[in-house]
Amino acid sequence: MSKQKEPYIPLDMPRVLGSKNKLLSLWHLMRGYHFHYLVSTVFLALAAFARTGMYVFLGTFIDRMMNEGLMGPELTLSALTFGSLIALQALSSFMSSWMANFTAENSTRRLRDYLFDHIQRLSYSYHSESKTGDLLERATSDVDTLRRFFAEQAIGVGRIVMIFIISFIAIARINLRLALFSIIIIPIVLAISIVFFKRLSKAYEAYQEQGAVLTTDLQENLSGVRVVKAFARQDYEIEKFDKENAEKFRLGRKFNWMHALFWPLSDIICSAQTIGSNFYAATMVINGVMTLGDFISFHGLLGWLIWPIRNLGRLIIDTSRALVSFGRISVVLQAPEEDMTAATYQPEGAIKGQICFDQVSFAYEKDYLVLDDVSFACEAGQVVALLGSTGSGKTSLVNLLPRFYDVTSGQILLDGVNLNEYSREFLRSQIGIVEQEPFLFSCSIRDNITYGVHREVSQEEIEEAAREAAIHEVILGFKNGYDTLVGERGVTLSGGQKQRLAIARTLLINPRILILDDSTSSVDMETEVQIRAALDSLMNNRTTFIIAHRIQSIMNADLILVFDKGKIVQMGEHEVLLNQDGIYKDIYDIQARIDSALQEEIDRVESI
Amino acid sequence: MLNQYNEEELDDVVDLKSGVVGRLMRALKPYWPQMLLAIIGIASVSYMDAYYTVLNKRIIDEGIVARNLPVMIGLFRNYAVVVLAQTVGFFLMIFIIGRLGEQLRYDFRKKLFHHLQNLSLSYFSKTPLGWIMSRVTSDTEKMADLLTWGVLDTVWAVTNISFAVFFMLQLNAALAVIVIISLPVMIFVSFKFRVKIYHHYRQSRKANSKMTASLNENITGVRIVKALRREAKNLDDFKVLSTNMYQESYRAVLLSAIYLPTIQTISAISLVLILWRGGLQVAGGAITIGVLQAFISYIMMILWPIQDLARVYAEMQNAIASSERVFSLLDMQPEIRNRENLLPVDSLAGDVEFEDVSFHYEDDEPVIKNLSFHIPQGQTVALVGTTGGGKTTIVNLLCRFYEPSSGVIRIAGHDYTQYPLEDIQSRIGVVLQVPHLFSGSIRDNLRYGRLDASDEEIEQAAKLAGAHDFITSFEKAYDQDVGEGGNQLSVGQKQLVSIARALLAEPDIFVMDEATSSVDTLTEALIQKGMHQLMSGRTSFIIAHRLSTIKSADLIMVIEDGQIIEKGNHKSLMRNKGHYYNLYTKQFRHDLETKYDLFADQEPDASAA
Repeated sequence: MSKQKEPYIPLDMPRVLGSKNKLLSLWHLMRGYHFHYLVSTVFLALAAFARTGMYVFLGTFIDRMMNEGLMGPELTLSALTFGSLIALQALSSFMSSWMANFTAENSTRRLRDYLFDHIQRLSYSYHSESKTGDLLERATSDVDTLRRFFAEQAIGVGRIVMIFIISFIAIARINLRLALFSIIIIPIVLAISIVFFKRLSKAYEAYQEQGAVLTTDLQENLSGVRVVKAFARQDYEIEKFDKENAEKFRLGRKFNWMHALFWPLSDIICSAQTIGSNFYAATMVINGVMTLGDFISFHGLLGWLIWPIRNLGRLIIDTSRALVSFGRISVVLQAPEEDMTAATYQPEGAIKGQICFDQVSFAYEKDYLVLDDVSFACEAGQVVALLGSTGSGKTSLVNLLPRFYDVTSGQILLDGVNLNEYSREFLRSQIGIVEQEPFLFSCSIRDNITYGVHREVSQEEIEEAAREAAIHEVILGFKNGYDTLVGERGVTLSGGQKQRLAIARTLLINPRILILDDSTSSVDMETEVQIRAALDSLMNNRTTFIIAHRIQSIMNADLILVFDKGKIVQMGEHEVLLNQDGIYKDIYDIQARIDSALQEEIDRVESI
Repeated sequence: MLNQYNEEELDDVVDLKSGVVGRLMRALKPYWPQMLLAIIGIASVSYMDAYYTVLNKRIIDEGIVARNLPVMIGLFRNYAVVVLAQTVGFFLMIFIIGRLGEQLRYDFRKKLFHHLQNLSLSYFSKTPLGWIMSRVTSDTEKMADLLTWGVLDTVWAVTNISFAVFFMLQLNAALAVIVIISLPVMIFVSFKFRVKIYHHYRQSRKANSKMTASLNENITGVRIVKALRREAKNLDDFKVLSTNMYQESYRAVLLSAIYLPTIQTISAISLVLILWRGGLQVAGGAITIGVLQAFISYIMMILWPIQDLARVYAEMQNAIASSERVFSLLDMQPEIRNRENLLPVDSLAGDVEFEDVSFHYEDDEPVIKNLSFHIPQGQTVALVGTTGGGKTTIVNLLCRFYEPSSGVIRIAGHDYTQYPLEDIQSRIGVVLQVPHLFSGSIRDNLRYGRLDASDEEIEQAAKLAGAHDFITSFEKAYDQDVGEGGNQLSVGQKQLVSIARALLAEPDIFVMDEATSSVDTLTEALIQKGMHQLMSGRTSFIIAHRLSTIKSADLIMVIEDGQIIEKGNHKSLMRNKGHYYNLYTKQFRHDLETKYDLFADQEPDASAA
């Protein structure tokens, strides 16, 4: 297993998902390890044979000793043969278990990697519709359920069944009637075990759920500690917690009660069979139908015939759970990935950045247009400001540019070519996005700045970008400078600081088109000026789409688009719009009114 | 400092002399009869386990080989009786010990929760919530398991091995010696294996949580991942984590796969020797076939208690480490406690006075420096200033969530440390910036203010606070569920509920941290109305963000850097043209811009899809 190449053969996902039978799908998930799994099964059989052989050999050994008497080298040989059979059994068990686990671990590692990649390549809309926790659950605990299926249940069922069959045959060779007599209780035990484990797994779920209730209760109490203290409600809280705690206690006792009932009950049934069969066999020896050696073989084999059946129920229930888990995983796997590379047009070098929206409409769901017949055009390097209230379509519009979503009707032209002809990969390499409060990853500040910069960047270059984004000084203020970790284990950055990190990153990426959310959340005047300057240098010579929050960015824009309910209601330069009646003029007037209101307020205080 | 709370880095090295084991055992004290019964039960079960082999031996020798049917029937009858007795013992044992385990879990959780309620706010502000949660949820499980099944498995294993050895010695001392010699080897090997397996198992759990965290982050940040085309690099990073997980997990299962066959092979050696030596003796007539068969059974069976013993041993260390953490939490003393000779109070109505109050967290820089002011009863104080200036600390001191490091706070004429803590906290009504509601109905949450309030009183308070209208607009009105942490309600609604809750408590002093986030105009007006209800006739401290609140305050204090830098009413401060003037004009602009919904776009609307 060298580090350079992939450590495993890729999955053949169409075959996994194409199989009608879920068990067959699971078989395809093992691709590349089928041989190992078969080897595991072969050794499983070998182990069962060796174990059975051990008891059979013990029988003949004793018979020979009783009849002719084993002496000297023959005895030594027999003892060694016996020991070898045990060793063979041990070795085979190991090989079987090793190969099964090898298959399980490798198949699931590959599946984990596959899922990770698949999930990050699912479409934008898939992600906005699904819950993180749910996806996470499927990619982790459901995968682990499959791992256990490969390693334990599939092999475990095989082991029990095989041991049962081989032991049965061995006993039948000694005496068929005895063999048949010895499996009378098997159906009963199996039925009880299936019913029990089914109910047990339900009881266990209830117990676990109550555990979750208790955890939630505790979490609420701890996070609301100020409220608890403010109202001095400690006693009340204790009482409340105790109620849930007692409920968990009750469910735990119920759960325990089932265990306390099942195991002794199945013990009694299995023991009854053991005693009955042994007695039957012993009388046969006394009556001369069977030899003593046969009895001793039988005595040993009987245990392997009966007792493992008790666990079969658990394995069967667990298997059905694994199939459910696979079902949950395959739902995610079936969702289509975004095609990053498909393209019918590939420009040489970078794009210029001329953009034209031609009667573009867009809907997330049918019949509800978020963008309705939007048309406008801008030249390369121009600044387009988007104005409008929440839900008016601004963000949806900018999401179309990197093809996070594709238009429902109409077309977008980039440098005169339909956007759909470019690959998503290429488009995203040409577009930079600075969000209002960007998501940062829990790695160092340096790694966050170079995140997505697809080239080697020197420390000088990073610092220069950080300086330009007015964040360098802030970073130096942290104890570990650029190596400071972001997030839970490191520093918490304010929204404005996060935004400036994203600006630095975008400067390094140097895209041709820029999408900008220009809000500056509560920062002091000086920083605001710095950010302003950083944004200006970022916008320089790039086609820029601004989701506007401030009048400055609008006034200097080459094109202002005013949105209302998905439509462009006004469009043009500041001066032009100012002379039209409409939303834009209203907004501008309000701004002016605020200024005069403030002045009035100040004057009033002065005058008194 | 963070590392000590990092679950992944938690240490398992325990000093056994620290008395933690003794303390752990003392938890069993109230249940000693059950424990004793269970131990006696398991010892008898284990005796019978070993005794079966003796019975089998007699069945072979005295029944079958001797061809004596009556004796054999008798022996089988004995066998059946032993099975019945053992089943009963087995049932009782699972029943008692399983129940005791649940009982201990319940006890530990209860005790911890009770203790947590008494700890001071400072403890919670410096201890991560997750850390505390793990103590209450998972550590208590490990402790209970160790004390019940851990103890029981150990007793079973030790007695089982001992009884087996005892019977073997009785049957044939020479052959028994072979087994006795192999025992320590098997036990030693088992322990080594188990500890290694457990180590890798724990490592794989850690690797797993790192892997999950990475996946979680990638899903949460998927917008950025896509925009920056980081998919390939992220997959590579993830593969490092998944490979690490694979390696640890694989090592654990591989060792497990080797483990049992290894000790089986060791036992095979003693079996060969027994068969060889025993075979000679059988031939010589020194021992019977039954004895030989008994020895074979013992050797095969003895592997189980050895495995159990090794497992308990491997897990014990971790369980003891868990106990140590739980005990350290239980040993934590609340920083703020009642003094002796308390002054009982019915009312805190009166002046509030800070005299030369300073405060610092642990040994850090002072957060509040020599603060002095005097507020006559019934007045409203607005605290303004930038974030981190110390406003929140001032109200925390007032509520006695913290106590001054130096200086005195007087309420109604007395140093407030002379009052019982509970009285102070229940006489001060607090409305937080991000109001915390508990899951349950709206009614439950309101009643939190006064537990014995009638439904009429609750509605009355809600009406006063202006919450009644939105509550009754819900399908179930007051019985509407608010969801976890009140998440089914909007921020404004939560605030209204928390104001009504505070009203119901009829406090003498009112403290409010106004929300910075904007709520719709109607709700805002309702909140203002509710606040006025609360402020009337009560000394009130408001960390103010709303201009109307600030303007109507009797006194405005501008707090910067833990000190009062400006003080006065709106007019005088405006005329000053100082800090307050700047804050006010900026806020004025901001408020109006928000009010007119100028560039309203608080959240990206893609998520609305």
